[in-house]
Amino acid sequence: MQEVVVHPGSIDEALASKAARAEIPPERLADVVLPSRTLAPAQRVEIYQRMYLLRMEEALGIDYPALQHFLGPRGFRDLVRDYVASFPSRSYTLNRLGDHLPAFVLTAIGRRHRGFCHDLARLELAMTEVFDAVETPTLSAEAVAAVRAEAWATARLRPIAAFRLLALRYPVNAYVQSLRGRGHRHPRPLRKDGWVAVYRRHYGVHRLELSRPAYRLLSELAAGASLGEAVSVAARRPGRSAAGQTQLYRWFREWMSKGLFMGLEGLEPSTNRL
Amino acid sequence: MNRWNFPDLGIGVGLRTVHFGHILSRRPAVDWFEVLSENFMDTGGHPLWVLDQVAERYPIALHGVSMSIGSTDPLDREYLRKLKSLAARTRARWVSDHLCWTGVAGRNVHDLLPMPYHEEALRHTAARVRQVSEILERPLVLENPSSYVEFASSAMTEWDFLSRLAQEADCGLLLDVNNVYVSSFNHGFDPRVYIDNVPADRVVQYHVAGHTNKGTHILDTHSDHAVAEVWELFRRSCRRTGNVSTLYEWDEDIPDFDVLHAEALKARAYREEPAAPPVRVARGA
Repeated sequence: MQEVVVHPGSIDEALASKAARAEIPPERLADVVLPSRTLAPAQRVEIYQRMYLLRMEEALGIDYPALQHFLGPRGFRDLVRDYVASFPSRSYTLNRLGDHLPAFVLTAIGRRHRGFCHDLARLELAMTEVFDAVETPTLSAEAVAAVRAEAWATARLRPIAAFRLLALRYPVNAYVQSLRGRGHRHPRPLRKDGWVAVYRRHYGVHRLELSRPAYRLLSELAAGASLGEAVSVAARRPGRSAAGQTQLYRWFREWMSKGLFMGLEGLEPSTNRL
Repeated sequence: MNRWNFPDLGIGVGLRTVHFGHILSRRPAVDWFEVLSENFMDTGGHPLWVLDQVAERYPIALHGVSMSIGSTDPLDREYLRKLKSLAARTRARWVSDHLCWTGVAGRNVHDLLPMPYHEEALRHTAARVRQVSEILERPLVLENPSSYVEFASSAMTEWDFLSRLAQEADCGLLLDVNNVYVSSFNHGFDPRVYIDNVPADRVVQYHVAGHTNKGTHILDTHSDHAVAEVWELFRRSCRRTGNVSTLYEWDEDIPDFDVLHAEALKARAYREEPAAPPVRVARGA
């Protein structure tokens, strides 16, 4: 029955499929499923089959509303049909059904919009991951103030669990934002590099656009580098101007105010004033 | 009173995302909330925070859709571990799921698929229910499903299967009177016979809901007010069981909270009638 329920074609095609035939040949369906007063066995099974793809589309539409909007109802439905055939749910929860969708988009969407859809799906997956991440405390201003100036070079800032960084090749963050406003004045799906931090604050999911140097610095910190190492690595990249002290200060002040970090590590006890 | 002395919590509704703000800000006078387990098992974000607030103020019962108790796949131990943890966190009064399977061979189609009702299926399911009850350290409560398919291999009615399962696995029952009505329409049996033959002392909760009549069959959509026939079945069953925790389900086209709550409170009129044994409808009538 399961092979018929998940088949994307008509009920006749589903019953005649190789996988379904291996269980029950279509001509023997009536030996297994009883008719009702009004429906033949195949029509009764079809009720479950029709609901399957609708349910998958609904679940993925909740996680990928911008991608659904961009592709349109028919395009998204086709994508869902092909996706769940390749990546059916193997979990008790639908929350993880869409985990492979960004990668799948690369193989399923035509070349013209492939890159844009891939980035859009990556951004929306990051948003759902951040939405569901465990709540972690944020680094307090008092904890920061207690660190002696000379200790900062070796300090490692741990980002909160609800935090993701993305380097994007298309203006998908602006696209997502355009869906929130009236009129839906979407950016065109043309190449434009961008960098975004997705994070959660007071249980709301937010997106912060970053400059390339700020993204690079945050990436190093998120990977576990000390502050000194991160600043040094970020400044070493060729062809790009290093961030000055004032810029660094502005960034950290903003990141701290948004609660992007949960803790400080790598501090010698003697270098902490508390 | 049921055999485990699970309390009558009164009349509750399902905790749904669209009502989070209303519930937290208005603190409506709802007796209790039913929580869809899977919606809260893998999140550490806003839903779980809301659930913690609600569980502080209202009694909670957990209701799941993915246990797949009738499947031939092994029980999902990780799922059960998380379910147990959520039950402890919310101080859930009981934990329920459905008499169904949701997938085999490692897949989950996320539907409540019907089972054949025969001796082998009964033994298989009873053993799994006992296992789950041991793991959860509480009796599992199982809901009768609505279904659109009947199997030729079934050797007994659904109510006989459910009754024997409850006895052999020592589990509780969540009697969904709308599901009884939906299945009776789809399969052509008298819903009163079903109601009259469920073991009354094992019923720990009721579901009442709306459905969609497609003419040739009824879909269990939880998208509307309950029809009079469903309320009559509820009345009939309450006379057998006495007052039991009652939950109104509304999961599609969900209305404002006050509309939902008003629909749920209709149950009062049927629950509070003096108990009187109904005229029993003979099997096969």
